[in-house]
Amino acid sequence: MSGLGLVLEIAKTALATQRYGIDVTGHNIANVNNPSYSRQNPVIEAKEPASYGGLLLGQGVDTTSVVRATDQFIESQLREQKSNEVAFEEMEQYMQILEGYLNENSETSISVLLSDFWNRWHDISNNPAGSAERVAIYEHSILLAERFNSLEADLIQMKTDLTGAVCFGVGRINEITEEIAYLNTQIVAIEASTTANDLRDKRTALVSELSEYLDVKSFEQSNGSLTIITARGCVLVQGNASYDLEMGGATGDRVIWRSSGTAIVDITDYLSNGKLGGWLTMRDEVIAKCELDLNALAKEFIWAVNNQHSQGVGLKLFEPDSTLTGTYKTSTDLDALEFGSEIQYIADGFKLWIENRTAPANPIMNAVSIDLSGLSGSSSLADVATAINNQIAAAGLAGVTASVSDDAIRFTAGSDYAFGFSDDNSNMLAALGVNTFFEGASAGTMELNPVLSDKDYIAAATIEADGSYAPGDNTNALAITDLQYTSNQISQWTCDRVNGNTQSTVTATFEQYYHGLVGAMGIISSSISRSREFNEVMVNELSQIRDSISAVSLDEEMTNLMEFQHAYEAAAKLITVADEMLEELLSAK
Amino acid sequence: MRVASKSIYDAARFNLANIQEQLYKANQVVATGKRITAISDDPVGLTQSLHVKSALSNLEQLGRNISMGKSWLAASESSLSQVQDIISDARALCVQMVNGTIDPSQQASAASIIENHIDEMVSLGNTEVNGHYVFAGWKTDTVPFGQDGTYHGDNHAFTIKIGNDTTIEIGADGEALFQDLFTTLSDLKDALEGNDVDGIRAAMTNLDIDHDRITTKISDIGSKVLRVETNERIFQDVTVSNTQRLSEIEDADMAAAIIDLESLEVVYKAALASSARIMQLSLVDFLS
Repeated sequence: MSGLGLVLEIAKTALATQRYGIDVTGHNIANVNNPSYSRQNPVIEAKEPASYGGLLLGQGVDTTSVVRATDQFIESQLREQKSNEVAFEEMEQYMQILEGYLNENSETSISVLLSDFWNRWHDISNNPAGSAERVAIYEHSILLAERFNSLEADLIQMKTDLTGAVCFGVGRINEITEEIAYLNTQIVAIEASTTANDLRDKRTALVSELSEYLDVKSFEQSNGSLTIITARGCVLVQGNASYDLEMGGATGDRVIWRSSGTAIVDITDYLSNGKLGGWLTMRDEVIAKCELDLNALAKEFIWAVNNQHSQGVGLKLFEPDSTLTGTYKTSTDLDALEFGSEIQYIADGFKLWIENRTAPANPIMNAVSIDLSGLSGSSSLADVATAINNQIAAAGLAGVTASVSDDAIRFTAGSDYAFGFSDDNSNMLAALGVNTFFEGASAGTMELNPVLSDKDYIAAATIEADGSYAPGDNTNALAITDLQYTSNQISQWTCDRVNGNTQSTVTATFEQYYHGLVGAMGIISSSISRSREFNEVMVNELSQIRDSISAVSLDEEMTNLMEFQHAYEAAAKLITVADEMLEELLSAK
Repeated sequence: MRVASKSIYDAARFNLANIQEQLYKANQVVATGKRITAISDDPVGLTQSLHVKSALSNLEQLGRNISMGKSWLAASESSLSQVQDIISDARALCVQMVNGTIDPSQQASAASIIENHIDEMVSLGNTEVNGHYVFAGWKTDTVPFGQDGTYHGDNHAFTIKIGNDTTIEIGADGEALFQDLFTTLSDLKDALEGNDVDGIRAAMTNLDIDHDRITTKISDIGSKVLRVETNERIFQDVTVSNTQRLSEIEDADMAAAIIDLESLEVVYKAALASSARIMQLSLVDFLS
């Protein structure tokens, strides 16, 4: 038969259930602003009824489990979108720095300096003998070269910083995957008997953080453990094991996945999402292009100016007892020179002028036309020196000798002999770095030829066929000013990590090319910003959907609290009633 | 849709941040007066503006070249017209000396007049602009004519650039211009001193030839001045149109920019007000 004991028993389960309810509500309220928290709900069921005196009577209530309100599909969508957004966010930040380097609203921007460079040559052509004009072009060209140097250095520094960031990211990824593997073990153990809600939330949060670093795909196994793979199908976590990433490759800037065995996979080029994806895209695509194009421009620019400059003569010849050393070096053959491929091995090579000053009042100027047809790309510098010396001797002249010094060509004038050059049809002088304006062959190495510290050697004039040269001759300076209007074939790069970098040629003046480069960076930058904005909106939308399923609503929880509280009060009342009834019975005499 | 408490705060954060970003950009435009402050703002416009800027820089330089050319040409022209005057004077003197009876003292004084003319010619042949000799060919730093009229320059003409692919000779080969004239004048002086009437007549013919040559040169210079000035005018026009274009590309439409800023301000205030109100609402406040 059913006794008063049953009423008390029912009241006890009711009290416990409402208390659990208040606990869960409290837990929810406490986590109201925890972004990775999924709200929990107690699952309340009526207890199995028991039969008493032919009646089936309920036995109260039971909390069978506490479940999380969550939607796996939305969670993974959100995670993927977030991973995308983070990549663009990082790129946008680095792009802002790059834009600063390319800032065109300044008097020291490369395009202003380039325009001014030509203008200074115009000034020299207007007053070829003027020392002020010569100092101006000298100082200005140093400024231009330094600007190229510092832009290149800034780009390299950015790449170094990005590699540092990737390295830090790899460290954090390894920590996260280790932790996820540990959580897998715990969840599998706990879920043998119950639900591991909070551990799952914690694991979800870690997977989210992981996806903010790199591309992540995850699958849940039937036992509750999570398998995580990244680019190229490399497994980061499986069951209770995690696999580390590391920095490797020839220069230590590649991201390498290492299996439990000895197998390694270079996943660098396949990471496109998360911070790592953003950093690597910046480093290996955006900055790489900027640097390659800048160097292509610097190389063509240096070559064009040098090639024209080497045709000319300054206010004076290279003096007696002086040496003139080429700026480009090769220890092997001529093809190995920076601009070795430009040399034409022709009979009508260049003219070497030797002025005999043994009778100072009556100097005699003679030319040797240097025949290069006996040489080729596989000739050495020594071969060049020998050919020149032989031809000087064959012309019955003396006083200037060619030699090789420290892997560069060197001309040495005897006392009473001075020398100069003209009519180089072979590009040999420019390729050797003789009588040139700049040295170096890239943005980072561009400098002024040290010979020009004597500004009289800035070659505005040309030695004429009769060997005369005049301070007011500006033909070479005019030819240099023409270079600003000349279109050149300049390489332009497209950098793609997966498909490799490809090179095409554009026809443009130097300034147009640089403007195009800045414009291209601007386009990349604005498209990154747009993608970031788009992804941000998507993340926001998905977050709202996720939160509408999983996040806590205080109003809801307050209502629940009231509900549980009133139910608790009622259950307590039940005990009072049972108590009074018992007392009634006990006091019956 | 179920709205979580967090969503209300997140939405406020997201929306306010978005409007703030737009406000920042709109303010940047109004404050700088520029539509493009970073290269990503309008990469195509930026590339165009860079092209225009370098074109402007080149035009400015060509303008400087032209003004220098003008000063050279003006100096040459004024020297050569003085040379023309001297030739005319000398010729008038010849006419006087050939016609009628001239006594030796008159001839001697005529000879000394011609000698003075030769000195004047030397100094005109040595005309300089900013320390450069105009009639010395490329030897612009060498005094082209000695006292006796010997030429020390060379046979080129100093040339400058007045357009992207246009050069113009602004100096001259002094020898071609003056040498015969010096010979004529010194021959005339000798003829006067030696009372050589045939010599004087020959000098008259030569003076006519010299006069023609100088006149041709002056008209050549005149047409050069015209060319240079035409270029100058064109460049001034192009500079104006380029500057205008630059402003169209770069400069903000202030009226539109300020309206944008103000409308964003209204939106921002509304968002602040609605966020402030909605964030305060909670069931908790109504429970006792």
